[in-house]
Amino acid sequence: MTMMFALAIAVLFAAGCYLLLKPDFVKILGGIILISNAAILFIMAAGLSRGREAIYPIEPGQRVSDPLVQSMALTAIVISFGVSALMIGMIYRVYMAHRSIDVELISDIEEREVQIEEEERLDQSIDAMPDREETVADPAAEREPQAVAT
Amino acid sequence: MNPLVVVILVSLAAAPTTALAGFWRPRWAGPVALAGTALAFAAALWNWHSPGATVDREWAPTWGLRLHVQSDGLAAVYSLLATGIGLAVVLYALAYIPSHLHHQHRDDGDATRFFAFLLLFMGAMVGLVHAQDLFLIFLFWDLTAIASYFLIGYDRQRREARISAIMALQITCVSAIGFLIGSLMLGERFGTYQLPELIAQVESSRYVTVAMAFMLIAALAKSAQAPAHFWLPRAMAAPTPVSAYLHSAAMVAAGVFLIGRIYPLIALSDLLLDVLTIAGAASILVGGILALSRDNLKQLLAYSTISQYGYVVLMFGIGGAYGVGAASFYVLAHGVCKCALFLTAGAVSEATDQRELSNLGGLWRHYPLLAVASGVAAAALAGLPLTIGWFKDELFFNAAVDDGFPATLMAMIAATLTFAYMGRFWLGIFAGPDRGAGRSISPLLVWPIVALAVVAVVGGIVTGPFVRLAAAAASATLGRDVDLHVGYAINTEAKIALVVFASGAILVATYRFWREFPVTIAILGAVVGPDRIYSSVINGLNRLSDRIHWIEVRDLRSRVASVLAPAAVLFVVSLVMTRFTGPFRTGDLKSGDGPIVLMLILIGIAALTAAAPRNHFSMVLALSGVGYGLAVVYSLLRAPDVAIVAVLIETILSLLVFGFLALLPADVDPAEVIPVDDPEQQAQEDHALRDAGLAISAGAFAFVVAWGVMSRPAALESVIAEHVALTPDAHGSDVVTTILADFRGFDTAGEITVLGIAFLGAATLLRRRVAR
Amino acid sequence: MSIMAQFAARVLLMPIWMVAFAMLVKGYVDTGDGFSAGVVASLAVLMQYLVFGVKQAESFWIVRKARLLAAIGLLIAVGVAFVPVFLGDSIMTHYPRPDRDVIHLGALELITAMLFDVGVFLLVIGFCTSAIDLIAHSASRRTP
Repeated sequence: MTMMFALAIAVLFAAGCYLLLKPDFVKILGGIILISNAAILFIMAAGLSRGREAIYPIEPGQRVSDPLVQSMALTAIVISFGVSALMIGMIYRVYMAHRSIDVELISDIEEREVQIEEEERLDQSIDAMPDREETVADPAAEREPQAVAT
Repeated sequence: MNPLVVVILVSLAAAPTTALAGFWRPRWAGPVALAGTALAFAAALWNWHSPGATVDREWAPTWGLRLHVQSDGLAAVYSLLATGIGLAVVLYALAYIPSHLHHQHRDDGDATRFFAFLLLFMGAMVGLVHAQDLFLIFLFWDLTAIASYFLIGYDRQRREARISAIMALQITCVSAIGFLIGSLMLGERFGTYQLPELIAQVESSRYVTVAMAFMLIAALAKSAQAPAHFWLPRAMAAPTPVSAYLHSAAMVAAGVFLIGRIYPLIALSDLLLDVLTIAGAASILVGGILALSRDNLKQLLAYSTISQYGYVVLMFGIGGAYGVGAASFYVLAHGVCKCALFLTAGAVSEATDQRELSNLGGLWRHYPLLAVASGVAAAALAGLPLTIGWFKDELFFNAAVDDGFPATLMAMIAATLTFAYMGRFWLGIFAGPDRGAGRSISPLLVWPIVALAVVAVVGGIVTGPFVRLAAAAASATLGRDVDLHVGYAINTEAKIALVVFASGAILVATYRFWREFPVTIAILGAVVGPDRIYSSVINGLNRLSDRIHWIEVRDLRSRVASVLAPAAVLFVVSLVMTRFTGPFRTGDLKSGDGPIVLMLILIGIAALTAAAPRNHFSMVLALSGVGYGLAVVYSLLRAPDVAIVAVLIETILSLLVFGFLALLPADVDPAEVIPVDDPEQQAQEDHALRDAGLAISAGAFAFVVAWGVMSRPAALESVIAEHVALTPDAHGSDVVTTILADFRGFDTAGEITVLGIAFLGAATLLRRRVAR
Repeated sequence: MSIMAQFAARVLLMPIWMVAFAMLVKGYVDTGDGFSAGVVASLAVLMQYLVFGVKQAESFWIVRKARLLAAIGLLIAVGVAFVPVFLGDSIMTHYPRPDRDVIHLGALELITAMLFDVGVFLLVIGFCTSAIDLIAHSASRRTP
């Protein structure tokens, strides 16, 4: 039985890792879900005792299935759900920004953006100072910009 | 009723009440704020007349926190300032803010935000000045910083306002960490966080000096002393009433207050007193000279504030009964005058739309009342007789003369600079050739200034209450009775004052000949000054984070692989190094375990199906197969709670993912695109082989670990029996739920906090109006 | 959707919530807890989306107040955890203490641990319904 659990955990983990290495964000999400499932199954399988449900009335001396791993597994399930929901949001946002969910395509785009930014920064390295207007002592230039509603 | 409790509760309750009233009826925010401030001021006056009250209550006893507040002279000075100036500012804002919002085409409802945060500021100040517990001080200290952030950034559509707000927050909050470090150092060494106890038992040592130096960082940065002065002029991006309040009664005053509060601990070290003296002197010079270089009304006043609080810090550095007493008196006098001057600047700009001295002039013909009132305030700040300012300078000179010649010289320079920029300010606006009138000024904008001017004059004739207040504050600071005496007499101080007036008048008269000098210094300061360091630090941090982000993002998959591969190596090493003492057990297969094995096989097949190269849809279907299979396993393991949650989560998660897939067009799924024969395709397949190899080895390791761990279970006599036995005591029957909500409830609290954060993140990312 | 489905969805809403509520209050005695109760209740909301469409489901009060519910839930749960600290007990102490009797309302036992579960319940409802709403709303915008 122990070995069977270990095998199942291993298959879940391996499948999860495989998906994690895909360039496609939705598959990465699937990989993370699978790896969480492997972890939860591991927690459950590591329970020390097996018996009846851990709900009173319990006769003294009766074996119950390990309640501690159950509560830990519950916590893990909830957190993996939260993480998955957050990932869905992130993937959606990435898609909206880049119209793609291909990891490599997106990093290409980012790389190009960074290069453009670097060039811009070199062009105006001094103008970028936020306190530009402070350095000017000319009274006319010191005037606060008239507030304009946007 | 204890007046101490009343003043704190009224001040702290004012902000939420105003916010509620404003949400309900936007028109009511202003009047409610006015009522709240007036009540708080009345309570502060009452509290002053019944001093000595203390409230010391356990707050979180297991953590050693106490709600320890006390009313003393120091608290009286600053709480009267915070509420009294607050009253004037709120009154002024009743007229100013609606027209300010109107100019910017903003909704009138925004006024609620203004009043609520202003009163939050006031409440935080009142709380701060009464607090005696270091953590309580820290709490209110940061609350003032947060309130100031929202107030400085009140015109949130302006980039300048946002940058200034962030800068003020960064400078004051980062430096506040210094206070926290100092508090923790003292608390750890001396076992208490109560200031009175600390002051009673702390002796001079290097350890204490270091702790107090950390605290001083916070105090000096907040009181805008050089070299952390640059955030204050930038904070002028705030609406005028905010500037007035920030400078005269709240933010900056809080820094000086803190010095007064922890002064007995600072005074243990001569080194720290010297630091105060030097910081004060530097701020006087920097602030004074830069104030002379400015043309913008509010900028001029902002730099003058830096130099004025430089006086106060210098006096603390000089020390002694007169130094400390003079410091408190100075804060009081300065608060009244500076507030009036800021409000004047706001009223003038409101009427003429001009913000520069060079575009103003001759306004006394059009606004005589305003001219007289602000003239009185300017005169008081410059220290002319018959105003409260004469005595602030008298006490200042007195302390300086006692200290010696360098301090006296510094005091004279300081007072001369003050006289010069005050002269420039008032003469520049009201005297000179007539440049025509602006709009008429609402009386609500003038009367608060008049009221403050009256206070300044009364203080110059009836000195009693003010001097008593300052003496009480000094007594509280020094921990012994202090007696201050002031009066008009021809003595050394008066002679110094006359010299100062003469040289100040000469400076004003000849201003146009040497104007280039302060301007040059200002330019020099902008090039090599501390604000340059600040912005390069911020820019550098930004660049660093960009850099790291770039490295991370550039090739995410190789990154994952390069994390996994060394991890695997380390793992193999650890496996080799582990001495396996016991056998790997296959475990006994009981007759009832058949269904579990069957389900596990199914789960394995489903997982492999999910991993097989298929489109998104079938992957998600296979994933839910895995999830439901696991739920069955859990139920077979007699874990009904886990099983039910697993089923429910699998249902809702699968539905969410399906819904999400419907959001993406089909062609983003690589599996849906018809493959074309190209070299990239080949590369993909190579990747697939590499990935499969990595995944299989990862699975193999997982297998070894899981099997190894489960083969050697801990002793059965574990916490399980205890949990099961204790469940009835916790009034529960379901052991699992009881563990979750009670025995290990703190874990659950952490878990739901994670869930809450994930929720916030998901909701922000998926919010309806995507900015695009 | 057919009339039948609409009828079923409307009729089933309250019973499902009833089940969720039972899971919540009996969590200490029987299977289920605040978390599963919250998910059951949100599945009922999801059913409204599927049957009535986004527009109608969005006007449902629980959807409009979802974020508020989540915030209140988190506050309740964290409050239950931290209030004992201010009373001098250690964090996450529940009342009544083991040696005291529980107040009964019929078969219902009033303990602060249940209040904690109520917080979890509200947080989960808020989380799930707004996640459903956000995705459903975006989807309906894409295909008007």
